[in-house]
Amino acid sequence: MRPRLRQAGLLRTLSTTAILALAAGSLAAPGAMAQVHGGELVFVQGSNPPSLDGMATSSQASRNITMNIYETLYGLSEDISPIPILAEGVEVSDDGKTYVFTLRQGVLFHNGKEMTSEDVKASMERYRRVGATANKLDPVRDIEITGRYEVTFHMVGPTPTFLESFSSPRAPAVIIPVEDADTEAGRNSFVGTGPYKFVEYVPDSHVTIERFDDYSADTRHDSVDGFGGFKTAYLDRVIFRVIPEPGAQVAALEAGEVHLVEQIPMPAARRLDANPDIVLHENMPWAFTTFHLNLAEPPTDNVKFREAIQVALQMEEIMAISSEGLYELNHGWQYPDTTYWAGDIGLEYYNLADAERARALLAEAGYNGEPFSILTDSNIPQHGRAAVVIAEQLQNVGINAVINQVDWPTALNIRLQDEGWNGWTLQMGIEPVQGPVAMIATLASPARPHFAVPDAELDALYQELISGMTVAERQETHKRIQARLYEIFASIKIGDSGLMQAGRANVKGFVPYRFPRVHDVWIEG
Amino acid sequence: MTAFLIRRLLSAIPVLFVVTLVTFLIMWLVPGDITAEIAGPDATAAELAAIRERLGLDRPIWVRALAWYGDLFRGDLGYSYLLNRPVVEAVLERLPVTLSLTALALTLATAMGMLLGILAAVRHNTAVDQGAMVTALIGLSIPDFWLGVVLIILFGVWLGWLPTGGFVPLAEDPVGWARSMALPAFTLAVTQMGVIARMTRSAMLDVLSQDYIRTARAKGMRRRTVIFRHGLRNAMIPIVTVVGVITGVLLSGAVVIETVFSLPGVGRLIIGAIQRRDFPIIQGGLLVTACVFVFVNILVDMLYAWFDPRVRNDR
Amino acid sequence: MTAEPGTTAAPPLSLAQEVARARRRRRIVFLRRLLGHPSFLIGFVILLAFVMTALLADWLAPYGPTRIHFRAILAPPSADHWLGTDGFGRDILSRIIHGTRVSLRIGIFVVLFTGILGTILGTLASYISWLDGLIMRGLDGLMAFPGVLLAIALAAALGPSETNAIIALTVTFTPRTARIVRASVIVVQQMQYIEAARAVGAGHGRIVFRYILANALSPLIVQLTFVFAVSIIAEAILSFLGVGPPPPAPSLGNIIADGRTYIQEAWWITVFPGLVIAVAVLGLNLMGDGLRDVIDPRQHSTRDTGGR
Repeated sequence: MRPRLRQAGLLRTLSTTAILALAAGSLAAPGAMAQVHGGELVFVQGSNPPSLDGMATSSQASRNITMNIYETLYGLSEDISPIPILAEGVEVSDDGKTYVFTLRQGVLFHNGKEMTSEDVKASMERYRRVGATANKLDPVRDIEITGRYEVTFHMVGPTPTFLESFSSPRAPAVIIPVEDADTEAGRNSFVGTGPYKFVEYVPDSHVTIERFDDYSADTRHDSVDGFGGFKTAYLDRVIFRVIPEPGAQVAALEAGEVHLVEQIPMPAARRLDANPDIVLHENMPWAFTTFHLNLAEPPTDNVKFREAIQVALQMEEIMAISSEGLYELNHGWQYPDTTYWAGDIGLEYYNLADAERARALLAEAGYNGEPFSILTDSNIPQHGRAAVVIAEQLQNVGINAVINQVDWPTALNIRLQDEGWNGWTLQMGIEPVQGPVAMIATLASPARPHFAVPDAELDALYQELISGMTVAERQETHKRIQARLYEIFASIKIGDSGLMQAGRANVKGFVPYRFPRVHDVWIEG
Repeated sequence: MTAFLIRRLLSAIPVLFVVTLVTFLIMWLVPGDITAEIAGPDATAAELAAIRERLGLDRPIWVRALAWYGDLFRGDLGYSYLLNRPVVEAVLERLPVTLSLTALALTLATAMGMLLGILAAVRHNTAVDQGAMVTALIGLSIPDFWLGVVLIILFGVWLGWLPTGGFVPLAEDPVGWARSMALPAFTLAVTQMGVIARMTRSAMLDVLSQDYIRTARAKGMRRRTVIFRHGLRNAMIPIVTVVGVITGVLLSGAVVIETVFSLPGVGRLIIGAIQRRDFPIIQGGLLVTACVFVFVNILVDMLYAWFDPRVRNDR
Repeated sequence: MTAEPGTTAAPPLSLAQEVARARRRRRIVFLRRLLGHPSFLIGFVILLAFVMTALLADWLAPYGPTRIHFRAILAPPSADHWLGTDGFGRDILSRIIHGTRVSLRIGIFVVLFTGILGTILGTLASYISWLDGLIMRGLDGLMAFPGVLLAIALAAALGPSETNAIIALTVTFTPRTARIVRASVIVVQQMQYIEAARAVGAGHGRIVFRYILANALSPLIVQLTFVFAVSIIAEAILSFLGVGPPPPAPSLGNIIADGRTYIQEAWWITVFPGLVIAVAVLGLNLMGDGLRDVIDPRQHSTRDTGGR
């Protein structure tokens, strides 16, 4: 039995939104509701987009905006599997060594030109050069134009999970016109094929986009589906405004100065639940809350010590405080009820808060009060809050836990060192939804695992996972991976957290997803 | 006056040199860097090294220092990796917001401060005097950013009279601009009016005790005329000097207040850059703000010299 | 209390004894005037309360400053939590009480280091003419950074910690302090009794320590009182911007920073620590004013008796 827990009867009305989100595909068919064309919508987010060059950044702040401007050949659907968007489809050869992508015809860029294979090839080559996750094209040896609407990827070797990673929205491989091919990262003209086109960017203030009237909707669908589907731009203009202060964001929403907020603090959500002018949109699950231990540095190099941490932690308290109450307990390394969910494996170690057993393990590990340094950052509030609760819990079992809170870039740098940290709090947003390969890739070679020192057995399992030809094979492997993770206690799964979004009640058609889809949203009245 | 100005400008050169040096050295102290942020959390050590090389972060300190001064002379403050644009552009674009906030706050602080100070001086040794001085002192003791938050709760949330943050350009909507600037400017002004009030009071008391004022009053001039025409005018010299000091405090206060009220000024640019380790922006923002302050001080000195001709020949 | 042999009647005193006695008398008069000064007295009482709170924090605070009350998150002020709790369910009163320690520690160290550095630099500048230009230009350059902006940048560069906050604030406040020391040393240098001391062949060291610094001390003390006050506010600013002492340290600035997300739902997190800062700083400002009035009669006359 998997413990599920939602904090204090949170917001009955939310479930409606959640169901709507799941059923969006079928419910939000065009014409089903009285859509209103025109108007201007203000969407609020906390951070400044570092770039509007869709492929050059993996930041969520950028993705929020760019995914309304650009599109990819393949992208994730509502239920997180790869679907064609700008591609008509793909044909994979039997040996898995060529991918022939056919393109949709008549798709126009914002500059009025039609998208052809030339643009696609140029985009992919630019991606190799400036793409923020350029390594996802590593399996591709070269790209050949095999027709006006056809490109062929010649692979280095068979890669069963290529399409999955190619569709990743992390730093999406967006299609831009060939004219931008030689531009440096961030210096392209922000021209894409999406339903909205770029107008203005005032850093740390706002980004304005406006409806692209010649948008070529994907008529194969009759509604939106994840990053793709049939998109309709109702609004004339959308302004993405940057307001760093969560308090100020909420106040602006209440005052009606803005229409949608990327994330509102849960206490504010509870207060606004009664407000008829505000609608809450629960985006759940949004991310894994994880805690990674450094296997290169004492005392966390000792597996008994790490086990002590695992059994000492009370996940419920950490989750309740770090997520402010929007969470579910989950010991697994995939979301429940998804394809690769591994069941109860590891559950016996989860959410134990067993101080006695922890102390015994600490004694067994020969722990002598050495400092246990928790690395966290000030930019992502959940990280800092989780660290504070973890530190307090570990101190209560006699671990000399100290918090090292730095800024996010510095934290990323420190955790790449073998020394100077023992534990690292991390929200993993995009990897879990991309499936087990993307998730476990962060814990296994060839990348540096989040826990610093590769585990040979886990690495072998990862290789087995990426070369597994069938889903059933890969599911079996993933179960063994989860079992292994509960033997080495190198990365600790704390739970799943959600993202609470909110909007004015007159904003219709908004369905929470991995980015705010401002197309198919309209303002009533 | 021109000679004085030239002398004053020349004396700013060594100051600006130190400013640029300190600005450069601050970044040398930085333990972490921007590479990891650009590369994303999955980057390998090799990828990070490549980015470091591309950005020139792998060069020795003195090479970077030479490059810094070389660029500086060409008016180039570097390139922001995260904003993807030249620093000069980004900073200058934000400057008007910060400067108008500072100017507005300065005006408010001076007006409120002088009013309090005059009131206190005229009603010397009465309850009004004491009340004014206690008000001034309390203003001086309140952390400005905290007052900003409290005022947001009060006027933005509870009363709903003013926006809780955000910025409306003056050209777009003058009323909206005034409303968006009202709380931040007032917040800044409250903390600094105390300095002006205290200075005004003592300067006024000083002047009012002078013989010519007594004579003027004895000659039957109206009290108000005496205070404003003679008293205040002569009290201006010390007041002008504190205005210079206050401008500095207001400028740095604006940096924090912009963050509280979500105003897109240099301050928020710098604070945002600090959180993202965007060195060039931090350097550029710091440098430009310091230069503005140096320039303001020259202005204040000119003003001072205008009020008091003796100063011109004094140095 | 120098117990001299045979002080029964009134034997003729040596010059040194005379001087010592006069000095003692001056000190008593000075203290009496200080304590009789209402501003100073009020300020002193506030500071004393602040210091006692910090010293007795472990006894005064009802709970540990980092203890999490899972069942009482964002609880409003109540009998259990007089000033409410924060987003972690930590008791605000306990955190404020312990927070006074952090503020006090930062204030004291900044005052100490600023005083020492300021004195050294100011004295060197006023005493060694070829160093004067160099030091003063350097200090001018540092003072060209407005307010606490330099401290913010420094603290950000060095990384958030209590030590780094102290370093950043010391660098920021030293220039003005050094200038004040230099100015008053120059004034003292020109006084006649220094000339006299020099004439009777007193060494440099003796002149500097015995006469010049002793006389430059008053403006320095006044200045340092204000440095103390500004440090407390500056700590809050640094913490608010995330470059001060890192969490879960219960610094007053951190508590305010923790509360700003919840200003609408939990105003108590923000409001109370701010009030404590304001009162502490008010106390120090009052003390500084009082000190200045009493120590510096010239200022005193222009400020308070000028109109009479």
